[in-house]
Amino acid sequence: MESREHRLISGRGQYADDLDFPGMAHLVFVGSPHAHARIVRLDVAEAEAVPGVIRVITGADVVEHTHPLPVQANFTSPGWTWRLAEVYAMPADKVRWHGEPVAAVVAEDERTARIAADKIQVEYDPLPVVAGAEDALKPNAPKLYDDWPDNKQVHLKFDFGDPDAAFKEADRVITVSNREGRVTGLPIEGRGCVGHYDRGKGTLTMWGAFQTPYLQRHNIAAAMGLPEARVSINAVDIGGAFGLKIHAWKENVVALASKLTGRYVKWFEPQRDFIVTGPHQRDVSWQGEVAVKNDGTLLGLRATVTHDLGVESTQKGIAALSIFPACSSPCNMYRWKGMHIEGIGAVTNKSFYCAYRGYGKDKGIKFIEAVINRVARELNMTPEAIRFKNFIQPDEFPFKAINNYVLDNGDYPGTLNRALEMVDVDKWRAEQEKGRAGGRHIGIGIVTSIEPAGVAVPNCQMGGLTQARVAICPDGTVEVDSDRTEIGQGSEISHVNIVSGILGCKKEDVYVRPVTSETIGQGPLSSRGAVWPASAVAKAAKQLRAKVDRFAASMFDATVDDIRIADGVIGCGKDTEKQLTFAEFANKAFFFPGPRRLPKEVLLEHEQLLSVTTTWYSPSTPESGSSYTTFCTSADIAVVEVDTETGVTKILKYAHVHDAGTVISKKVIDGQIHGGIVQGIGEALMEELKYDRNGQLLNTSFAEYLIPTAVEAPVIEIAHLVTPSPFSETGAKGMGEAPIIGSKAVILTAVEDALSPFGILVEDSPASPERVRAWVNGSKGDEQ
Amino acid sequence: MKITVHYTINSKACDLEVDAGETLLEALRNRLKLTSVHRSCEEGECGACTVLLNGEPVNSCLMLAAAADGADILTTEGLMRGDQRHPIMDAFVDLHGMQCGFCTPGLLMTGYSLVRKANGGDLDEATIRQSIEGNLCRCTGYMNIVKAIQEAKRRKDAGDWW
Amino acid sequence: MNQFIGSRALPDLVYHRPGTMDDLLGLVKGIEGEYRVVAGCTDFIPAIRGGKWRFADGINVVDIRGVKALSGIREEKGEIVMGAATRLSDILVSPVIREKAPVLADAVSQMASPQVRNTATVGGNLCMASPAADTAPPLLVLDAKVAWRTADGEETTPLNKFFLGPGATVLPPRSVLTEIRFPAPGPDEAARRTRMGQRTAFVCSIISVAVWLRGGPEKIEAARIAMGAVAPTPILITAAESVLIGKKPNEATLAEAAKTAASNIAPIDDLRATADYRKSLAETLTRRLLAACVGDLA
Ligand SMILES: Cc1cc2nc3c(=O)[nH]c(=O)nc-3n(C[C@H](O)[C@H](O)[C@H](O)COP(=O)(O)OP(=O)(O)OC[C@H]3O[C@@H](n4cnc5c(N)ncnc54)[C@H](O)[C@@H]3O)c2cc1C
Ligand code: FES
Ligand code: FES
Repeated sequence: MESREHRLISGRGQYADDLDFPGMAHLVFVGSPHAHARIVRLDVAEAEAVPGVIRVITGADVVEHTHPLPVQANFTSPGWTWRLAEVYAMPADKVRWHGEPVAAVVAEDERTARIAADKIQVEYDPLPVVAGAEDALKPNAPKLYDDWPDNKQVHLKFDFGDPDAAFKEADRVITVSNREGRVTGLPIEGRGCVGHYDRGKGTLTMWGAFQTPYLQRHNIAAAMGLPEARVSINAVDIGGAFGLKIHAWKENVVALASKLTGRYVKWFEPQRDFIVTGPHQRDVSWQGEVAVKNDGTLLGLRATVTHDLGVESTQKGIAALSIFPACSSPCNMYRWKGMHIEGIGAVTNKSFYCAYRGYGKDKGIKFIEAVINRVARELNMTPEAIRFKNFIQPDEFPFKAINNYVLDNGDYPGTLNRALEMVDVDKWRAEQEKGRAGGRHIGIGIVTSIEPAGVAVPNCQMGGLTQARVAICPDGTVEVDSDRTEIGQGSEISHVNIVSGILGCKKEDVYVRPVTSETIGQGPLSSRGAVWPASAVAKAAKQLRAKVDRFAASMFDATVDDIRIADGVIGCGKDTEKQLTFAEFANKAFFFPGPRRLPKEVLLEHEQLLSVTTTWYSPSTPESGSSYTTFCTSADIAVVEVDTETGVTKILKYAHVHDAGTVISKKVIDGQIHGGIVQGIGEALMEELKYDRNGQLLNTSFAEYLIPTAVEAPVIEIAHLVTPSPFSETGAKGMGEAPIIGSKAVILTAVEDALSPFGILVEDSPASPERVRAWVNGSKGDEQ
Repeated sequence: MKITVHYTINSKACDLEVDAGETLLEALRNRLKLTSVHRSCEEGECGACTVLLNGEPVNSCLMLAAAADGADILTTEGLMRGDQRHPIMDAFVDLHGMQCGFCTPGLLMTGYSLVRKANGGDLDEATIRQSIEGNLCRCTGYMNIVKAIQEAKRRKDAGDWW
Repeated sequence: MNQFIGSRALPDLVYHRPGTMDDLLGLVKGIEGEYRVVAGCTDFIPAIRGGKWRFADGINVVDIRGVKALSGIREEKGEIVMGAATRLSDILVSPVIREKAPVLADAVSQMASPQVRNTATVGGNLCMASPAADTAPPLLVLDAKVAWRTADGEETTPLNKFFLGPGATVLPPRSVLTEIRFPAPGPDEAARRTRMGQRTAFVCSIISVAVWLRGGPEKIEAARIAMGAVAPTPILITAAESVLIGKKPNEATLAEAAKTAASNIAPIDDLRATADYRKSLAETLTRRLLAACVGDLA
């Protein structure tokens, strides 16, 4: 069967922009130039007069014809703050960020829609702008939501272990702070979809770049006021997602446009729109103190992390939800006595916050890794020595961490040791010494991390939904359904490998079907693909295999123990006469199933079909409440050189060691590592969304919001360790986010190491050339 | 204003009526349904829309369809021979130089023109990286793309059709 | 305030593609209503998509790429002459440029991307008059002149006098830039350039610097320093010349010249860099380039 790779490489991908239906109309959004303003008047007459315009949808239409966006996560614990706002897909009265859509033009073609979009007249009454989290939290700050007492959306407080005891035991307490710039994940393809509301049947069907069709169906149906069963959401080829395509927002306007016009309506977002009105991430600052012993033993942490969430909309509660992993992840892979962590989320007049590779885990780990490296420097230890001292050891698993995570397993010291074999850090340290004498500034960074993967949390839509179906068709081909959309992360190859491995069929006979809302599940987020969906698929395949064995045994008049299946041939012991291809076998099983072929019990049990639908749930979660299931391990070592006169950082060497448990597909894992590392490098060195005091986003295109090109991306060396997880069906661990977590942390710590003669603490990112130069200038000129 | 242009596109001659205010990208996608030519920034910044114009990579979003009159244009579709993949496509598949696939057609075109013009031994890494600086990829970190282009050159040198 | 729209439509154009210089000049002279001369369109199209330029339907677009005489690079009476519509990629592979003015090839090699360079033209880069135009600093230090024509005649001016401000040049209405010419540098001359962006590749310059020296290891006889993205137009910074001329090019002299150059610019803060950072880079990069040129002269 033709593979996805063949289809895509030959130019026959079907991405959202390639969708074409008879009589399809096109939709273009019009956004607010103001960051915060009341809409006084919105005049669509001139736009509607443009020939080819079918209709203009305004915020007022959206409020009239749809419901507020549904709540997706809601946590109310005593002492906690968790606020939600009532928002529609488009506002009728007030805009809250630069670019927020106020109208959408539907026209016969996209060009006409764009021309008409420019003719919509909007009169705004500007309101004071809340330009950042710090401003937002000031008393008397202008409020974003009138019915809230202030701009604080979230305040969570966690006591892990015994923080007071930890600080009591400490030889020293070191104050630490850290800030990360606002970034966006920016897949090369923007968002886009086609909606079709069938007025006759009262059904809504959508196709497009949907990362989580099942949840998106729920959320779109709720906003549209349609019964969920009448809505169908279908993922097409997706040009990258990284979390940025899990929400359902503008999609509602597309659905409404179809409902109001009776047409297929297409929307495909230009990159500029994706940057200005897309999900953002990071933009946090940490303040805290760490308690340690003089021998390097880590004891405790007290810290507050403040998030600039932008507006609260589109994914109600999901932005705020990312504060949980940010607060929990500083424990990383070390033994701690106690932590007190507070997570604050403020709303501001910026685009909304949603998922992007990392989703908070990156923040906590980047913070703690920077802290640990600083502690090491203060105690005159190497970064590797302090880690070896504090790692949870291989014989301690499963390890119940103070943050409630149940760490499955791994070889933390082994992972770091492997990285140290790849990079001769002592040689580089000697080089560093030598270089410094001649004004060269080399820095060596070491970071180790785990990646909590496969989220299942109560009180929200990410509760642990997954379903899979594996079936043999009457022609012997195999079809697989799961909730794991293919966003480029290799879900199809992985499923093919799993299923063919278990069933013994040929790889090319397995077809992983495009994901639709027919299959229950959260989709591939929080690196759950290799954990939840893969486990469900493996479980279904195992059950199906048992059926095949049983059926074949009956057909061959043998016992199940005699059945051998390999490379698409079902055989019986050593008897070469008794062989069936999958096609022959399936044909018999489906079309000649009478008592002659299938065991009588199978028929009596109503188990005669070669199709298994099943689900899966994390085995460690029910007892412990651990929100994550597997914890892959990685170690990153980077060597950089900083030109202190220009501020430019060059990466001289990059090594990454990874333990993702059982390797389902090495090339997929390596690809995830390469891509994640380069995204992390982008965050560490160049990516930052810049808003001015008036809430205007200044860098709105690829020309201004810079991501790494092939020239900045380093050569990445990878090594693998394999410690199969006891908690997943295949032994694989989720790993999609690990590379971005380690890489941004390691580059920044390497830069700090390079700048250590100046006494510079890298407490802000990105470490852009200009910022590095300013740090050097600010360090009173001379090297210390 | 409507203009009739003449292209040789993927080795086939074609006459096409276009709007003067239409880009080559729009003509290829909307009129000729050559949807391998992807659209992202429409401002020359990402390279997803790269096609070969008279053998050289250009951003089809930055060119008026009218200005390409008379040109020989190659898109990813045109690299295929029937159902057989071009060796550079094989290299991308074999070395996993493609993840989501959105940047891929553009990279295939840039990579193809680089390899086609390159003589001598292996293409060095720095040359490849510089040659693909105008093709952004957010998934692969470029590692396997660079390897795939290197491999394509080897296959060309080994006598694979090109 | 403009609405925020992700990407704007191009207007309905009236497209002209004259085949000869005379046709071009005649067309431009007689054209009624709004018109634009375009070459590679790599500035023209993004300016419309991003809303920086707006045109009514029916605007005349005069594509000069059909006029063969406007493209090509030749050496003529000790001068190097480039047609205004010469593509950046042609400059990059031109044997004349690579041999006689590698500094220009070096600048072009870092401009935009291979794809953009395959359509963008040198004339377009200069006529756009961006403060950050990357061909300008090397051409300024090479003492380039630009020539334009109207139906009524031809005029030439030093590139140094060409730019008036961001997006503004001395080009009169209904004229077309035709040529860029500069004296072929002699063996006792050296020129270098560099630039900085927020990333290494495929990025708009936050500063670009070019320097040119004539002389030898004992004495500098003439010097030019030019910069981009530090003023409303690309500029020659003459203040530092006197620091160098007649001096032995030792470290201290070069450092002083670099400092003088940097103190004679008044850059602004913008999205890409602050004025302070630009000044600091101006000094560092100038110093490094001067040292490299002195090395070339030795
Ligand atoms: C992605 C991207 C990256 C870029 N990177 C860089 C970079 O690194 N450095 C840099 O300097 N620039 C860069 N540019 C800008 C641009 O590519 C250059 O300025 C290019 O040289 C413009 O040439 P063109 O022929 O495409 O101009 P066009 O877009 O055709 O024209 C630009 C302007 O010049 C006028 N014009 C053009 N030719 C003539 C003529 N002969 N007579 C009179 N007027 C004329 C036009 O009327 C128009 O106003 C980049 C552009 C893009 C899209
Ligand atoms: S769409 Fe043409 S370069 Fe991005
Ligand atoms: S493979 Fe996804 S952008 Fe390159």
